[in-house]
Amino acid sequence: MVKKGVWPRILLFLALMGPGIITANVDNDAGGIATYSICGANYGYKMLWVFVPILITLIIIQEMCSRMAVVTGKGLADLIREEFGVRIAFYAMVVLVLANIANTMANFAGIAAAGELLGIGKYFLVPVVAILIWWMVVKGTYKSVEKIFLVACLFYVAYIISGFLARPAWDEVFSNFTRPSFHLGQKDFVFMFIGLVGTTIAPWMQFYQQAAVVEKGIKIENYNYNKLDVIIGSFMVNIVAFFIVVVCAATLFKAGIRVDSAKDAALALAPFVGRYCYLLFAFGLLNASIFAASILPISTAYSVCEGMGWELGVDKRFREAPHFYFLYTFVLAIGAVIILLPRIPLIPVMYFSQVANGILLPFVLIFMVKLINNKRLMGKYTNSGFYNILIYIVIGSLISLSLIGIFV
Amino acid sequence: MFVCFSKLLNEPVMDKDRELLGKLYEIITVPTEVYPKLWAMVVVRGIFKKRYATIPWDNVRERDKKGIYLKCKKRALNFQDTIDYQDKLALRRDILDQQVIDTYNYNVIRVNDIHLLEVNQDLMLAHVDIGVKGLMRRLGLEKIVGKAQDRLVPWKFIQPLSINPVSKTIKINIPQKNFRSIPPAELSDIMMDLDPKQKIGLFKTLDLDTRIRIFGRLDFKTQREIAEEIGPKDSAEILKEIPDDEATDFLERMPRHRVDFILEKMETKEVKKLSRLLGYASDSAGGLMTTDYIAIDKNTIVEAALNIIKEAAFPVETFQYVYITGENKKFVGLTNIRRLISASPDEVISSTTFPNIPYVHLEDGVQEVAYLMEKYKCQTLPVVNEGHILQGIITIDDILSQVIAIAWRKTRRKVPRTL
Repeated sequence: MVKKGVWPRILLFLALMGPGIITANVDNDAGGIATYSICGANYGYKMLWVFVPILITLIIIQEMCSRMAVVTGKGLADLIREEFGVRIAFYAMVVLVLANIANTMANFAGIAAAGELLGIGKYFLVPVVAILIWWMVVKGTYKSVEKIFLVACLFYVAYIISGFLARPAWDEVFSNFTRPSFHLGQKDFVFMFIGLVGTTIAPWMQFYQQAAVVEKGIKIENYNYNKLDVIIGSFMVNIVAFFIVVVCAATLFKAGIRVDSAKDAALALAPFVGRYCYLLFAFGLLNASIFAASILPISTAYSVCEGMGWELGVDKRFREAPHFYFLYTFVLAIGAVIILLPRIPLIPVMYFSQVANGILLPFVLIFMVKLINNKRLMGKYTNSGFYNILIYIVIGSLISLSLIGIFV
Repeated sequence: MFVCFSKLLNEPVMDKDRELLGKLYEIITVPTEVYPKLWAMVVVRGIFKKRYATIPWDNVRERDKKGIYLKCKKRALNFQDTIDYQDKLALRRDILDQQVIDTYNYNVIRVNDIHLLEVNQDLMLAHVDIGVKGLMRRLGLEKIVGKAQDRLVPWKFIQPLSINPVSKTIKINIPQKNFRSIPPAELSDIMMDLDPKQKIGLFKTLDLDTRIRIFGRLDFKTQREIAEEIGPKDSAEILKEIPDDEATDFLERMPRHRVDFILEKMETKEVKKLSRLLGYASDSAGGLMTTDYIAIDKNTIVEAALNIIKEAAFPVETFQYVYITGENKKFVGLTNIRRLISASPDEVISSTTFPNIPYVHLEDGVQEVAYLMEKYKCQTLPVVNEGHILQGIITIDDILSQVIAIAWRKTRRKVPRTL
């Protein structure tokens, strides 16, 4: 192979980037923004250090997914079915559907909240967005719309700017960031910690990311560019999250205002950061929620049909792929309809989505480690010994966190 | 009597003295017949440190509800840490829960179970189960489905897709003649439903003839992956043989340096022609046309013309039409085989030409071409340059796909894959 210059390399990277950055950005969904705002408002700078382990974990897990996708050319659900048999695949898919319905609901809740901030009623906004998403994906125009969402993610830079405008105490930010503090005795604190990790590392992401890399058709020679994609994406999501926490900590926490949703946070922020910042929070929440709500149902339908061996794909007609279209429509519709029910308690909905994610995550991670260390599938691209130890530590801590989250 | 493979999996295996040896882990066959017999089983023992042994299927004395009994003793078996049966067909590794091709319905399917037919102690592969009922049976939820129909595909129509790790190809079953009889249009549809690795594996398995027939029907992404995998030499081999318009469709979307690699491997004449075609916009007459046609000088007599047609060896999309050219290949007229046959053998061919032949210029657009074809009800249109010299022809199928794409875009719908 001829040695490539700098420009061809950059161009190649631009052509191959996407899956990692998209997945990471969808990560900052309604649940994410809510958790970060609450974290900043209620705990100040105290939990900033958490973003370091989250960043490392995210990179490790996403990297494994991409590597599996590049080497095997198969999706995660596909591999689970083929290597662990139909029974395990089936139950994993059942939990995935439940978890993703809950996640979709959480994002429609985000859409409703953003609508209220912007003065649009949810009985109008939620159905309109749901139908728009359904139509866009089924008619195959989604791929182009995805780019709009991605560009919209650039507006998250504004979070970073408002982070500076909020004039945080930088020495305090720095000391909290570098010196971890953990209060095991405080139940709330532990829950917040679990929430932060849980919202950033969700099981559906693994399925989505792997499918996206397969779809992109990246070859092993170019795998390093893909790794860069994952790393950049993970940094983006963590930096944005970091600054959301900083903004809320520098204003709300300092003023002693406690909040328990993204909407409250945005409302409370208005007097401190001005009207533009408030609008920014509202639009950010709306963009993030719609982005995630469009990806979740379709990603669910792809994973399940792949695992069960049903015809799939938006280029098939309804008659050819009935399971696929049914599942897609079902997940989307349930997510939207439940949010429209009057007096629906949103906090338990969010909690349920966290629990479903929490149950599924350890299994998905164990599947991944078993698959990636399978010589027949991965050849010389299995994990190194050191990497495996690192991953077992990560998985061990994530599993214990999930267990604590569910049972404590 | 049919036995489900999933029921045999993990069955206890006992030796002559009914001593437990381990569990059935895998069944291996050698698919040389239409309905192959089972060749051997792999037994696994141990929980943390797993050890495996291969046992020929002849060694089975009997099977009952409790398990499988062998004729030999435990001592006769050799348990090893790993065993290699890469070159054989293994039911668990290659078939159960995997994707395979159904060569009867032209489909990619996922196998829910395998049915084995029991004939005097022998078991042979009978069909694979792809229905919801088989799925539920394996989940232990059979009752939910009730009276649903089983969906079975006879084994002889099953083409496994397991990829040989060394040659990176797919092994075509020897009795799988059906596989070769799949029409190119269906085969290309099947290919697009496969995983990237399987796609390439399958393509590499095909002979040159089949490769040529399906290449132009694949989407660009698949074409590109294939071209990169098989290298410039083999790609050139295919591009040389497929119609020019399909070759240029592919080449004009490839990166410049890759195109150069491929063209390097072709003969000068071929390269000249393709590079010229590549210079035209893809939705202009020049971009749509092919240079595979028969052109004969206007002064040739009919008998000689018919001989030229008989000997034409290159792929000609429209054999029935013959283009008549004057000096310097200037376009003169058009005739067809019927007119030539019914003319007297010593007539010059220019006298058999159709009256009023429409033609287009290189830079004319798709709409113009479609309009003329419709107006004159013709299936091909000659393309000429400013000097009225024949450059190529456009056939109705090339125009049809373009027009359909435009029509679909206008009604804001995607072109379905199966048309």
